[in-house]
Amino acid sequence: QFVPSDPPPPRRPVQYAEHNESNEEKQFRRVFQQLAGDDMEVSPSELMNILNRIVTKHQDLKTEGFSIESCRSMVAVMDEDSTGKLGFHEFKHLWDNIKKWQAMYKTYDSDSSGFISADELPNAFRAAGFPLNDQLFSMIIRRYSDDNGNLDFDNYIGCLVRLDAMCRAFKTLDRDNNGTIKVNVQEWLQLTMYS
Amino acid sequence: MYPSGGISATIHANRLRAEGMGSKEQALHFSNQDYEALKQECLDSGCLFEDPCFPAEPPSLGFKELAPYSSKTRDVEWKRPTELTDDPQFIVGGATRTDICQGALGDCWLLAAIASLTLNERLLHRVVPHGQSFQDDYAGIFHFQFWQFGEWVDVVIDDRLPVKDGEIMFVHSAEGNEFWSALLEKAYAKLNGSYEALSGGSTTEGFEDFTGGVSEMYELRKAPKDLHRIIGKALDRGSLLGCSIDITSAFDMEAVTFKKLVKGHAYSVTGLKEVDFRGNMERLIRIRNPWGQVEWTGAWSDNSPEWDEVDPSEREDLHLQMEDGEFWMSFSEFKRQFSRLEICNLTPDALSEDSLGHWNTMKFYGAWRRGSTAGGCRNHPNTFWINPQYKITLLEEDDDPEDDEVACSFLVALMQKDRRRYRRHGQDMHTIGFALYEIPEEYRGCQNVHLKKDFFLKHSSCARSETFINLREVSTRLRLPPGEYLVVPSTFEPSKEADFVLRVFTEKQSETEELDEEISADLGDDDEITEDDIDDSFKSMFAQLAGEDMEISIQELRTILNRVLSRHKDLKTDGFSVESCRTMVNLMDKDGSARLGLVEFQILWNKIRKWLVIFRDFDLDKSGAMSSYEMRLAVEAAGFKLNNRLNQILVARYAENEMIDFDNFICCLVKLEAMFRYFQQFDKEGSGEAEMNISEWLYLTMCG
Repeated sequence: QFVPSDPPPPRRPVQYAEHNESNEEKQFRRVFQQLAGDDMEVSPSELMNILNRIVTKHQDLKTEGFSIESCRSMVAVMDEDSTGKLGFHEFKHLWDNIKKWQAMYKTYDSDSSGFISADELPNAFRAAGFPLNDQLFSMIIRRYSDDNGNLDFDNYIGCLVRLDAMCRAFKTLDRDNNGTIKVNVQEWLQLTMYS
Repeated sequence: MYPSGGISATIHANRLRAEGMGSKEQALHFSNQDYEALKQECLDSGCLFEDPCFPAEPPSLGFKELAPYSSKTRDVEWKRPTELTDDPQFIVGGATRTDICQGALGDCWLLAAIASLTLNERLLHRVVPHGQSFQDDYAGIFHFQFWQFGEWVDVVIDDRLPVKDGEIMFVHSAEGNEFWSALLEKAYAKLNGSYEALSGGSTTEGFEDFTGGVSEMYELRKAPKDLHRIIGKALDRGSLLGCSIDITSAFDMEAVTFKKLVKGHAYSVTGLKEVDFRGNMERLIRIRNPWGQVEWTGAWSDNSPEWDEVDPSEREDLHLQMEDGEFWMSFSEFKRQFSRLEICNLTPDALSEDSLGHWNTMKFYGAWRRGSTAGGCRNHPNTFWINPQYKITLLEEDDDPEDDEVACSFLVALMQKDRRRYRRHGQDMHTIGFALYEIPEEYRGCQNVHLKKDFFLKHSSCARSETFINLREVSTRLRLPPGEYLVVPSTFEPSKEADFVLRVFTEKQSETEELDEEISADLGDDDEITEDDIDDSFKSMFAQLAGEDMEISIQELRTILNRVLSRHKDLKTDGFSVESCRTMVNLMDKDGSARLGLVEFQILWNKIRKWLVIFRDFDLDKSGAMSSYEMRLAVEAAGFKLNNRLNQILVARYAENEMIDFDNFICCLVKLEAMFRYFQQFDKEGSGEAEMNISEWLYLTMCG
C-alpha cells in the first residue's frame, strides 16, 4: 500500500510568531500554557478556576465567585471556531480586557461598597467605551444586578465581556457601516445561541 | 479588523467567501497585506519594502537544521537581487528549465512543482502575477498566489534573499540573473512559516498548492490494468503527471541507475502513444527530466534501434534526438523501472483552454466537532451517522467507447484543514477517509434530510476511500452508475476535531449539495394562554410559591425548580444555577418586571414538563444525563429542526464531556425558543432575513 512520506514538519506561523514576541508576551504565553494544559486550549472550567483564584486574592471585589455557567458564556462569545474552548489569541484578548475592566471597577465604585451600584454603572460603562442609552442601561441593571441594583464583580465582568463581544459582532457584520445589520435565521441563531 | 471576533468573524468570512473572495479572481490577502497599496507606499516614500511579517532574520530560515545560530545559517546575509548583480531580471523569455536549480534545501519535490509551472504559461501566471520587474516601478516588493485549503491566497514578500558566501542559498537560476523562482520559493516559505518547512514535502502537495488541483497516487507495482487509459485521459485534460523511483536509503538520493534514470527524483510524464512495431501495437510513454539532461538509455530511448522499425511517418513527429531531458520508453518497462505515479488533476478555473475537457468541481467546507459531528468511521455505528453528509447526483455516464459498462467516473478528495494552526505545536494529522452510500428510493430527490443511525445499520456502503490514512488529503477515483449517492467524510475514531474541505470532481454533469435539515421551529401558541385557562390547583401552588408580591423572582424560581429536581432522583444534575434562572426569567418575562407573573410561570412550567418527558426518552442508557450525540434528535422532538453547524454550537455551549444534563437542556431550549420568536418579530414578512439597529441588537442579545 502507499507508504506516505512522513508529513512535512509543522509549517506554522506560530513558530515564527514565538520567536518574535516581546518578553511580556512570552511571560503571558507561559501563563497560558500552564493554564491551558496539554490540549493548549482554555476550557470554561479552567477559566473559572483562574478567575476565582484571582478574586480570592482581591478582597475589595465583592462576589460569590464566577459560576461555570457565566464562564461557558464568556468562552462562547470569544470562541471563533466553535470548539467550546479558547486558543491563545482568543484568551489573550479576553484576559487583557478583564484586567482593564478590573482596574476600572475600583475607580468607579465611588462609595467603595465593593459593588457597582445602579447610579455608578452608567459612568463605569461609558468609561469602558459603551455609551448606551438609558433603556439599555436599565435593562442591564435589571438583568445583571441583584435585587437592590448592585452589580457584583463577576456579573460586572460577565456583562462587559458579553457587551464587548456583541458590539464587535455588530461592527463586523455592519460592513457598509450604515448602522443596521441583516442576518438570516442560521446566522441569528449562531450569534445568539453561542453566547 | 477586530482581533478576536468570535463566531461573527466566521460568519463574516463565510459571507466574503460567498461573494467570491478566495476565488481565482479575488485572492485573499495573506496577513492582510495588500500588494498594490504597499508598493505605492514604497514608491511614494522612495524606500524599498521591508516585510515585517517575514523579516530578513534567522527565524525565517528554519527551526531545526536551519535554526538560528546553527552551522548552516551562521554567516547568512540577506541581499536584494539589485545588490547581487547589476542587471537583475524577473522573468526572461518565459520560465524555462534552467531557471530552477536546486539549492541547499531538500525540496526537490518543490522543483517538480515549480517545473510543472514551466509546462504551461497559464499555470505559471496563475501563481506568478504579470507586471513585476526590477526595472520599471521597482520597490523591492513582489507577490505570488497560492492555493491553500480551497482558497487562493496572495502572499507579499520583500526581495531580500538568503545569501551565503556570495551565493543564493536556495532555488536559483543557472545564469544567476533571473530571480522569479527564488522569489516564488521565498513566498511559499513565508506561507509555510519558514524555508525549512519546505524540506520533505510531498510532490502532490506542491502540485495542489500551485494549481488548486486534486492529486491521485498510483503504486506502479500494483497499478490498475486500465492505468494507460487514466494516463491518457489525464494528459488530454492537461493534468500534471509526475513519476519517481523510490529511494531505499538516504545516500541513494539522486543516484543514477545503470540506464541513467535518477532515483528519488521527480520526473514529469508528457505523452502516451501507440506505434506499430514488428506487426503489433507497442504502447510508449514520454517522460521528461526537469533538469533538461540525463536521459534514459534503454529501449526506445533517443537513439536506440527500435525506432528504425517504426514506419517513418509516425517516427517523424514522435522521435526527437536531442539532449533536452525528454525521452520515450515502453509502457511495460516504465511500470518496472518507476515506483510511483502522481497525477494532479486541474480544476476548470486553473485551465480554461476550452479544447481540453475538464472536471466539474464542487467544494464544501465542513467541520468535525467533539460531541456533535465528530462521529468516527463506520466501525462506530452509534455515532457514525452524525458526521456531516453530502449528496452527489451523477447525471450522465462517461462517453467512453472502450468500456461498455454504464458508469460515471468521478473523484472524491477529502482534505483536513490545519485547524489548530495558531494554537498547537506540531501538526497532528488525523486519520481520515470517507464512505459512499446509495440513497434509497424514499429519500430520492429531497434535500433537507439527514439520514439517521438505522439507515447506516441496515445499508452497507457501495464505495469508500481506499483507506483511512493520516495524510493531508485522501482522494480516490470511483466509478458508479448514474444515480444519487451520499458521501460521509469522517475521521477514523470519533471525537477527533478538525475542519475539512471536501471536493468532488466529475467528468460529466453532476450536482452536489450538503444534506442537511432546513432550519425551522413549530412554536406553540404560548400567547393564547390567559389567566382563566389556568386551573385552580396550579393557581394555589403559584400563590404559595410567589409570596405576597404575587410574582416569582429569580431566587424563588431557582428554589422551585431545584425542589422539582430533587423529587426526580433519576435526573443527574448539579441543579439550576442563579445564572440560568436569571436567563430564563428574562426570556419569559414579557412585562419587563424581571419577575414571572402567573401566566408567564404557567407557560414556563408547561414547557419544562413537556421537555422533561423528551429528556427521559433520549437518555437512552438511563444515566440521568443525555449523550450529546442524542441532542440533535431531542431538539427535533421538541419541535426545532436545526442543521449541523447549529447542532455543533449547541453542544459546544451546553454539553460537558459529551453529556448534557437536565438543567442545561432546559436552559438551551428556553433560549432557543425565545430566539426563534425574536427572529420572527424582526422578520415580519417572512423574507428569511431580520434587520435591526445596534440598540435593538443589544437589547435582544444582552438579555438572553
